[in-house]
Amino acid sequence: MSGLREWIVNRATDLADGGSVCLNGHEYSDIVGMSPYDVYNLPYDIGVKVWESLGGLIAWLINLFVPNNAVSFALISDTATNAMAIVLMVVVIFAIGFVTNLTMIWQERKFLGRQMDRRGTMIGPLGYLQCLGDGLKTFMKENVAPRAIDKKIYWWGVVLVIGTSVLLACMIPLSPRWFIVDYNTGLLLIFAFFALAPFLIMCAGWAQNNKYSLIGGLRAAELMISYEVPMLILFAGTVYMTGSFNIGDIITWQEEHIWLIVPQIVGFFVCLVCAIAESERVPFDLSEAEAELVEGWQTEYAGMKWGLIMLGDYFRGFVACALVNIMFLGGWSMPIINEFDWYYQYFPELFFVLKTCFVFIFFITARGALPRVRTDQIVNVGWKVLMPLAVINLVITILIKWIWDYGGVF
Amino acid sequence: MAQPTEYYSKYPKKFKGTGIITPVLKVFKHMFKTTFHRPVTILYPYEKEWVPDNYRGRPGLRFDRCLGCGICVRACPTTCIELVEVADDDGKMVLRPQVNVGRCMMCGYCAEYCPVDAMTTTTDYELAEFNRYDLIYDPRRLHFEYTTDMMEVHIEEHLMSNLAKGITDQPTAFYNTDRPVLEDKKCIGCQKCAKVCPVNAIEMVVVGQNDKGKDIKRPKIDEATCISCSNCIIDCPKDALKMNEVL
Amino acid sequence: MAQEKMNADKMWLTMGPQHPFSHGLWTLRAQVDGEIVTDAEPEVGYLHRGWEKECEQRDYQKIIPMADRLCYSASMTWSHLFCKVAEEALDIEVPERAQYLRVVADEICRIQSHLMWLAAVGTDAGNLTIFLWALREREFMLDLNVRLCGQRLTTNYPRIGGVRNDMPYYFERDCLRGIERFEKALWDIVNLTDDSSIFVGRVKGIGYISREECANLGITGPAMRGCGVDYDVRRDDPYDAYGDMDFYVPVYKDGDAYARFRVRIEEMFQSCSIIKQAMKKLESIPKTAPYRLKVPKAIPEGTHMARIEDPRGESVMYLISDGTDRPYRLKVRSPVFVNVSASKRMVQGVRLADIPTVMAMIDMCLGETDR
Repeated sequence: MSGLREWIVNRATDLADGGSVCLNGHEYSDIVGMSPYDVYNLPYDIGVKVWESLGGLIAWLINLFVPNNAVSFALISDTATNAMAIVLMVVVIFAIGFVTNLTMIWQERKFLGRQMDRRGTMIGPLGYLQCLGDGLKTFMKENVAPRAIDKKIYWWGVVLVIGTSVLLACMIPLSPRWFIVDYNTGLLLIFAFFALAPFLIMCAGWAQNNKYSLIGGLRAAELMISYEVPMLILFAGTVYMTGSFNIGDIITWQEEHIWLIVPQIVGFFVCLVCAIAESERVPFDLSEAEAELVEGWQTEYAGMKWGLIMLGDYFRGFVACALVNIMFLGGWSMPIINEFDWYYQYFPELFFVLKTCFVFIFFITARGALPRVRTDQIVNVGWKVLMPLAVINLVITILIKWIWDYGGVF
Repeated sequence: MAQPTEYYSKYPKKFKGTGIITPVLKVFKHMFKTTFHRPVTILYPYEKEWVPDNYRGRPGLRFDRCLGCGICVRACPTTCIELVEVADDDGKMVLRPQVNVGRCMMCGYCAEYCPVDAMTTTTDYELAEFNRYDLIYDPRRLHFEYTTDMMEVHIEEHLMSNLAKGITDQPTAFYNTDRPVLEDKKCIGCQKCAKVCPVNAIEMVVVGQNDKGKDIKRPKIDEATCISCSNCIIDCPKDALKMNEVL
Repeated sequence: MAQEKMNADKMWLTMGPQHPFSHGLWTLRAQVDGEIVTDAEPEVGYLHRGWEKECEQRDYQKIIPMADRLCYSASMTWSHLFCKVAEEALDIEVPERAQYLRVVADEICRIQSHLMWLAAVGTDAGNLTIFLWALREREFMLDLNVRLCGQRLTTNYPRIGGVRNDMPYYFERDCLRGIERFEKALWDIVNLTDDSSIFVGRVKGIGYISREECANLGITGPAMRGCGVDYDVRRDDPYDAYGDMDFYVPVYKDGDAYARFRVRIEEMFQSCSIIKQAMKKLESIPKTAPYRLKVPKAIPEGTHMARIEDPRGESVMYLISDGTDRPYRLKVRSPVFVNVSASKRMVQGVRLADIPTVMAMIDMCLGETDR
């Protein structure tokens, strides 16, 4: 019996026994030594298992024709499995983010429809498949670009705007076991990438050689100076309270103590407003105000470029909601049910997504209820209302923290 | 004296920048309301809105009632109606209106002016076709299956002379009152008017003999059967007939 | 030709004819200095159909459905105006029942036209909810139109010497129910607009015109009443049954976009009251009463003028008849054509984002502007 055949039989026996599915009969702890993680990572594990069946199948098929060849053994070797597992892990994380994103688009269309006394999308079960249809339709469109553009910036601008958005969505951890990198400055890095977009939008607006997109791009910059400052002050409050930039630590702190929405209720609402502005959604979508600037900075982006920009917008909306969730609503932690064993075994990712979708309801309602603000109004609101409120929130946070730690302010 | 409403009188004073709470709550409330009740929109191709019988869709024709008088042709503002020769149920060739619905503006004048209510309005508004020729409705196709009495449009005009006398209960229409009158000097007795009359209301009567001993014929209009279609007036080569409008 | 030196500080922005803010085909060329608009120039005429010339080829009766097509949302008032000028030429008075029916139809038309405007304001301000709620209410008004006239928009209802048909069965009940429902529903929309500080902040204090400028530019209608001129043709030169109606003409002295907004909303409430009064009056007139006169086809020679309070302002028709059954000349004075000429004055100094909201308060309708 060849080595490969033996391995396949072993795998089958393992699966039939219902035992833990591990590579080459090793325990998981053996694998983690090679994997980039020192804790259990579910997407990585899924990647490992998918590669075991996929790579194993390929290896077996090759082995049928060329028995005991080197390629088959290389395909199921630990090194190859580890490498392919990381690739598949990224695919899995992106796929889940993508599905979440589609769900949020569907959620927005349905909720907005109900608010406006109409039905929303009606294709597929509860109208869910409309997004796919729209995506397909946009994909079919011709990829046109105007002649007199600054080609380099035109293409790189849109690629980077979409790219950073997708990157951000992948950087959001859904649970202690669902992340790409467990970096200690997680929140800071997300904010940094988040703030990159207005600059890219400005560049893209300039590169299109169109007056509307130029104004739209500059408005994005104008918008940024008004919401970014209060947002960072709120962020300081969160970090001061929890004592860490690490998203996992922030949520663990909230799980152990209290959700930050309770001490920082002011900050929560300020953060909602800032998050809407950050993701450039309707009350603050000055850079693509369709009433006066035709499509704002996206005017000359046609076909699938535009479709991807819209998708990226929703990715940013998802990230903004997830940030509100992480900073104020305790991420994947749930007050009572996380005491049970089965909660962290099966549900944390689901609850994280559900809570994010719950925050998104505020976004949708703001879109349904409010007209678009003017450029000077958003700057006014940002500096005269949101900024003082954020500072007050910070002061409250510091007072509470001192009382908490030392039993008194002085 | 009329009073302004609450909106005008109280609202500006009450408003002190209440912020965004009222609209947000309003929209939220509406969201819950429409989640449990149906939204007002309908799924158009599957559900259709009810239209009343007096809806002015495309024109409809009751073939057997039509006289082929051509009043609808002359009443049409867009000249989309044309009289064509078709075989009736007995195989005889008759004149009936054919409507180019692509040009029709759905004003309902043809139904309104029709003296015998052969032309009706219909509730048919889904008229899309794949080419323009299909939009030309021949007299048989103009027939509308679900024609009801409500789809007839009647003219109920009152004569000003009657109103001056105090008579307000005798509504009439132009086809009951207006009749062509003959200017005897101009008439040459060509009989054209008698030929074109759709209801055979004109009869050529011998009124005398000319110098050569031939009969002098003059049209005699039967006022009871005349429908005031003015075919005779239009076709008269010497403009001898004129419509006498009763007011 | 001497070439002007290019002004590098300012940029001409051509908004239209295919632009989301221009409801219809027209262009507003705006000179912007950053976000501030320094100059503007409206260009109309894309939709010229030769309406006035076409009327010279048609019988008087056939012009009525054409007058419907002057403006898609004020069709009733335009055909009413044409009938009025023809009646003035014939020197006849319309039966009482027809007068009240015309008032009812006119006010339904005014409400639905204002709701169309409100919907446009919603999209221009960037809120689709206002748009859809207003259009939902408009749909009920159009249903009343269908019931009364047989069509949603192109009513073809008035006739020279009366109206096309009497009220159908249950119209009175439906109309009163619809109006009562509408009065409540309008408050819902008001909650989205007047109660929202963002919306009020968007429209307050922009697009200012003074009373004198308003008179010089010839602005009429709600835009004029928003500038403090207390004038309404319905009240000051009553036609048909408006003399018997008891209604309030809203006037604001502010002269900004918000004042024009409020005038139109209040006008909708007042229209409801007018419809109720007219319906009450129609009850007392017997159902068999005449509502249409038989009129001659030809109009005697002469020149005649009639004016009417359109939802957008004062519309005038000037008729020169030569004794035949076709007009020799029919001149239309469109209120929007005059009002839009004020856009240059209105948008100077506002921000680019304010152009849609300021121009929305004029309530553009290109059919009647370009004719």
